[in-house]
Amino acid sequence: MSITAVEPWVELPLRKFVEEARTVLGLLLHPSGQVVAQFGFARAIDVMSACALAAAIHASAGELGKQLDGKAFRGLHHPGRDRQLYLAEAATPRGTFIFLTVFDQESSLGLVRLYFDEFCKSLAAAAPPAPRHAEPVLEDRFEHELNRNLAALFGRG
Amino acid sequence: MSRSPFASVLASLTRQRGVRASLVVDENDGIVIDSNLQIGQDGDRVAALAASLYRKARLSAAAAHLGNATFMQLEAERGRICAAGHNDLVLVVVADPAANIGMIRVEMIKAAGGLP
Repeated sequence: MSITAVEPWVELPLRKFVEEARTVLGLLLHPSGQVVAQFGFARAIDVMSACALAAAIHASAGELGKQLDGKAFRGLHHPGRDRQLYLAEAATPRGTFIFLTVFDQESSLGLVRLYFDEFCKSLAAAAPPAPRHAEPVLEDRFEHELNRNLAALFGRG
Repeated sequence: MSRSPFASVLASLTRQRGVRASLVVDENDGIVIDSNLQIGQDGDRVAALAASLYRKARLSAAAAHLGNATFMQLEAERGRICAAGHNDLVLVVVADPAANIGMIRVEMIKAAGGLP
């Protein structure tokens, strides 16, 4: 399984998760939709679409949770016929990330949730401190940064 | 508060000497449906891993043309994990090494047969 990460500290926790949870696809992204790491994807365009959709689903579910329950929903599971999707937040000192993973009958929701909890802990432990003056991702730089990250993941400049 | 339909099954298993935890788990999801746990037992973790193990054991038995798996037992240094399934449900028991595994096996197979 090929794992690629824009930020190197993500790679080890992600590799451990993939090996243990036996999921087939995975994405770690910023809530803005910027990709941080991926496994199982073959094309940059698929990563880009999945990131945009995951960020949108996360934002919608968060708002829905606030309206229904007073606080954002943090995890979402969608069972398909052959494959299932799990989307949840991972909090680190570097900020909150969104993690999307897809699994089939080789794994289960219970295993994915179990190893996701461990992934969150090891990700938080591996994360370097947030930069003091972290710049927000602005609209005019978004596409440039997205393309830069995709190029880093798929080896195209 | 209404009792779960599995409460009596779990209570009968937990009454067995040396049983530390008994759980009803969804075999496909590995999620706990009901459980009876002693302090210190991590039900979610045991359920996810034991259901996965049972599922693979059942598929292995089928692949080897052995028919349905009825009972699975894992012996470890400090105890045993037993599992018995019916339809999509798995009964999981965590027991001490000194537990009467014969009695537990009989109870589990009997109880699994009564699962919906």
